[in-house]
Amino acid sequence: MTRFAKIPAARYLDLALFLALGLFPLTGLMFYTQLLQKYMVFLIFAYSLDLLWGYAGLMDLGHAVLFGMGGYLMALSLSARSGVPEFMARYGVEQLPAWLAAIVPEPAAVLAGILVPALFAGLLGRFLFFSRVGGVFFSVITLALAQAFNLFIQSQQEYTGGFNGIGGLPGLSLFGRPLTLAQGYYLVFGLVLLVYAFCRGLTASRFGLVLRGIRENGARLEFLGYDQARFKTAVFAVSGALAGLAGVLYAPVNGMIAPNDVGMEFSTAAVVWLAIGGRGSLTGAALGAMLVNVLGNALSEQFGAYWQLLLGAALLAVVFFAPQGITGVLPRPGARSSPGKAAGKRA
Amino acid sequence: MESFAALLLNGLNSSALILIAALGMVIICGLMNVINLAHGELIMIGAYTAYGVTQSLGYPFFAALPAAFAVTAAAGAAMERLVVKRLAGRPAETMLATFGVSVVLQQLANVAFGAQSKYVAIPIDGKLAFGKVVVPFYNLFTILFVAAVTAGTVLLLHRTKFGKRVRAITQNREMAECLGIDSSRVDTFTFAFGSGLAGLAGALAAPVKTVSPFMGGPYLVNSFMTSVVGGVASFFGTSAGSLLVGESTALIGGVSNDVLANILVLLLIIAAIRFRPEGLFAKERR
Repeated sequence: MTRFAKIPAARYLDLALFLALGLFPLTGLMFYTQLLQKYMVFLIFAYSLDLLWGYAGLMDLGHAVLFGMGGYLMALSLSARSGVPEFMARYGVEQLPAWLAAIVPEPAAVLAGILVPALFAGLLGRFLFFSRVGGVFFSVITLALAQAFNLFIQSQQEYTGGFNGIGGLPGLSLFGRPLTLAQGYYLVFGLVLLVYAFCRGLTASRFGLVLRGIRENGARLEFLGYDQARFKTAVFAVSGALAGLAGVLYAPVNGMIAPNDVGMEFSTAAVVWLAIGGRGSLTGAALGAMLVNVLGNALSEQFGAYWQLLLGAALLAVVFFAPQGITGVLPRPGARSSPGKAAGKRA
Repeated sequence: MESFAALLLNGLNSSALILIAALGMVIICGLMNVINLAHGELIMIGAYTAYGVTQSLGYPFFAALPAAFAVTAAAGAAMERLVVKRLAGRPAETMLATFGVSVVLQQLANVAFGAQSKYVAIPIDGKLAFGKVVVPFYNLFTILFVAAVTAGTVLLLHRTKFGKRVRAITQNREMAECLGIDSSRVDTFTFAFGSGLAGLAGALAAPVKTVSPFMGGPYLVNSFMTSVVGGVASFFGTSAGSLLVGESTALIGGVSNDVLANILVLLLIIAAIRFRPEGLFAKERR
């Protein structure tokens, strides 16, 4: 077989998606360019969840917590650029607390927005995985965490704007210079490519192989001398960093952040993207995120609740008829069994 | 001291609601090893049934309780037959599918009843007062009713043939099947029964909480935490777990605020799982 034939069909999908995203601003459709910019941020978030769920088999039902940490840190930094923001002043905060003053400079905010969720995920992973909490328990705990984080954000009104969130944020900037829409778009696009390349490299490495081994049969990996807890914790931290990066971009790209973006709702939305697109290939994550968001944008205004209903039904249909998602239906060279059977073995 | 007693009684009331919400989940999880992410929506169905029976049809609240049980049990049976059974032995897929069901149920309620909250009148007026400690009669009713339902469930599982089958399958499914137990039928009945309990929880909560399509989330999380704390092996564990969750939330909430209480209890539970993954009250693993 030629080398050409060995490239999975899915890679062509990646290529096509990136080509389309790269060329889209040339159409001059400002509104949709802005929208796609936001969806590209979601793409990074989807990749980060795929690393965790698709490759290591850890279904995080509270992934938006990590996204939200990055997002809120960036939003706070942006709104505190010129002194105490209005929503804080309303609650009688007269001086920026030291931790907030420290993240006002842009590089500090970016760094904090990536490192804090990474550290949080690392610590939580250290705590959970080393006591053999895994499988569905991990999902249950992360779901509860999403609920608690959402409540926490809503309760800290003087620092988070409570239920209304933090709005009126300036757009993307780089080294203190505000970017135009096109510049901002390509900055995010460049980051998407970087994150994609990073994830591809990581999952193709020995580390990625071990992760897939853990997903399929953790006990067997232990017999081979791999400490699964260590690997799970590491991938959780890496995934946390990427989710944080997505959050950091989301705050300026979206112009606001609210508790809805950090709780159960957004966490489960990402789970739906991956379930529909397919897990463990990165391609499926991207495809699902784009498809659900683009369709959602087109349909939700007209059909409202019916769109959500359709999404729920689509999720059910995927679980029953295409357990590997849309990309699972694509031919994959070197696959030993049909996608349906492979999914059946995974528990 | 008096305010402490009031907090304690308040906590007992929320413990009762948590217990009946979690009980169904624990039975289902113990028997079938299924995490049902649509459990909160079953509670929602129960609450809407109570709303429909009392507000739309005008029957008394006490007719709403059995109605809620029946409607949710039917919904649960359908869900087990159509979704859960087909994914047997694949916990991750089951979880995803039940999540799909929860989205569908939420949106169906949203389409049918609208997103606004509905209210159910409190069926029993009046309150009991000991000095500063005031207990509404309805809270007392809730506590007693939940105690009775829990006792009934224990009797069902430990004193009837059906219960014996359920316990046999919980212990060893293949062996039970070898002995001629139709595990598929027992699964459906148990799922229906557990769902019915969730419906009762929804109906009981309806007069004191709001009824809306998206009310299920917090109940789901609370039920999860209770079953995680108590373990899925025993009723004692579930009862103790719900008491722990309800009382500690009420007590911490009394001295600080509800949000902080919720977060602290969650963190304590995560810590508890760290050291006792089978639940605090579980017996040693076989």
